[in-house]
Amino acid sequence: MKITDEIRISDNGFVFNSKTGDSFNINPTGLELTKLIALDSDFDDIKEIFLEKYDLDDLTFENDFYEFCALLKHNQITVQEDPLDFK
Amino acid sequence: MEKMKYEKPGMTKINAGMPSKFGMPVKQKIVAEIDGITVSSLIEEYGSPLFVISETTMRNTYAEAKRAFDTRYPKVQFAWSYKTNYLDAVCSIYHDEGSWAEVVSGFEFEKALANGVDGSRILFNGPDKSKADLIMAIENNACIHIDHFDELYLLIETTREIGLKARVAIRVNLDAGIYPIWDRFGFNYENGDAWNAINRIMLAESLDLIGLHTHIGTYIMVQSAYAIAASKLANLYMAIHRKFDYWLKYIDLGGGFASKNTLKGAYMPGSETCPSFDDYAEAISNALISSEIPHENLPVLFLETGRALIDDAGYLLTTVLANKRLNSGRRSMIIDAGVNLLFTSFWYNLNVYPTRELGHAEESTIYGPLCMNIDVIRDAIVFPQVKTGEQLVIERVGAYNITQSMQFITYRPNVVLIDERGKTHIIRKKESLETFKHVELNPKRS
Repeated sequence: MKITDEIRISDNGFVFNSKTGDSFNINPTGLELTKLIALDSDFDDIKEIFLEKYDLDDLTFENDFYEFCALLKHNQITVQEDPLDFK
Repeated sequence: MEKMKYEKPGMTKINAGMPSKFGMPVKQKIVAEIDGITVSSLIEEYGSPLFVISETTMRNTYAEAKRAFDTRYPKVQFAWSYKTNYLDAVCSIYHDEGSWAEVVSGFEFEKALANGVDGSRILFNGPDKSKADLIMAIENNACIHIDHFDELYLLIETTREIGLKARVAIRVNLDAGIYPIWDRFGFNYENGDAWNAINRIMLAESLDLIGLHTHIGTYIMVQSAYAIAASKLANLYMAIHRKFDYWLKYIDLGGGFASKNTLKGAYMPGSETCPSFDDYAEAISNALISSEIPHENLPVLFLETGRALIDDAGYLLTTVLANKRLNSGRRSMIIDAGVNLLFTSFWYNLNVYPTRELGHAEESTIYGPLCMNIDVIRDAIVFPQVKTGEQLVIERVGAYNITQSMQFITYRPNVVLIDERGKTHIIRKKESLETFKHVELNPKRS
């Protein structure tokens, strides 16, 4: 899963997709996740970072992470080339 | 080092040119308690989902309605609409406030009698009155509101057979300027059916015509429709006096006052657009007082309002079972209360509120727990992210939901009344397997 080339993300969570013309606001944790995904970080690494930083359990994080990934994909912010790649 | 507070990652699509239609930021209302009792303690004690009825709200709303009419018209009598909510505890509160009973079946009639209502204070409406029902009504001296000619002739026949007189009114349907016209009930005013029925009744020695009744519809958002209906009944009232030199005792304008719920497809919320009791009272009272009827012969005004009296007093407490992201990207959640408990969700956008401050809100769909595609409580509501187990409150469900709730897939929940002293009472028990064992028979296992 990678962030497409047409996506621009500002530091305050504003996301613009020049391909579709859509724009989005991402909340701070969403922005943090998006940035880590953009760096091609591994799920386990991202989880570790979040669990260390936030008052959060691993199952909640996993549930929220995959839901957020589905949102990114749905809004064409990321592409998932391999349908079995859930990262 | 103390860890930071976590907020679920979320994103919102920006729709340029589509601000809030009211031009204001959406402020999420929180309902953490009902009449001073926390939602969490109610669910802990009585389970979830849970219907809660506030006696204080019931009595306050009744007082508001009564004041609106009493200050404008000399003789007003409310009759509690049993079908709106016929739990005994609910009916008893309205009877305690002075309401008569308005029933539409033999079952409701029996319930009213069992609640201690004197038979002469029961208005018997509806198209379904069996001979046995009519005998019960006649013997109890009830006011029978005749719906059609077949019922009129059955009533004449029945009174002859049992040798008792019946006190009757006719239900009149009329064009009050709103559509659809409810012409399936009663006798039509415009085509002369109502006048024909009145003449037939006046000729029947065993029938004592004492009133005129109409019910122009439900959730009527235009108070002027009641003024038109009242004027037409006043015309009939005077016509009867001119022809028979006889004054009827009452005019019954029925119910149909809108509650503050918002109809699906409405642009503005019901709380902003629905007429108040004062608006309805002003329209009806003015129409009657300014009619031809001499002041000293003004009839008693009966009102059978149900929905507007009880809707605000009912709450449904519910718990989030799951969150789900749909294929379309829309967020959805599943709660433990379905459309089988919330019949009014088919035509209202019911208000659903969290019980505490929550984070990021986005447009969501709220599904009930039934394994049925139609089980949708709200198809589009801006709602904060919630976790499994989060408790929510659905407001304004006091009217029709309990009487029309259906046992389906799972048991129906407890109904709890919070009395005026803040004490809770179960007024209808949650169903269990025993409930069904009690009424089911299995010839294969006898």
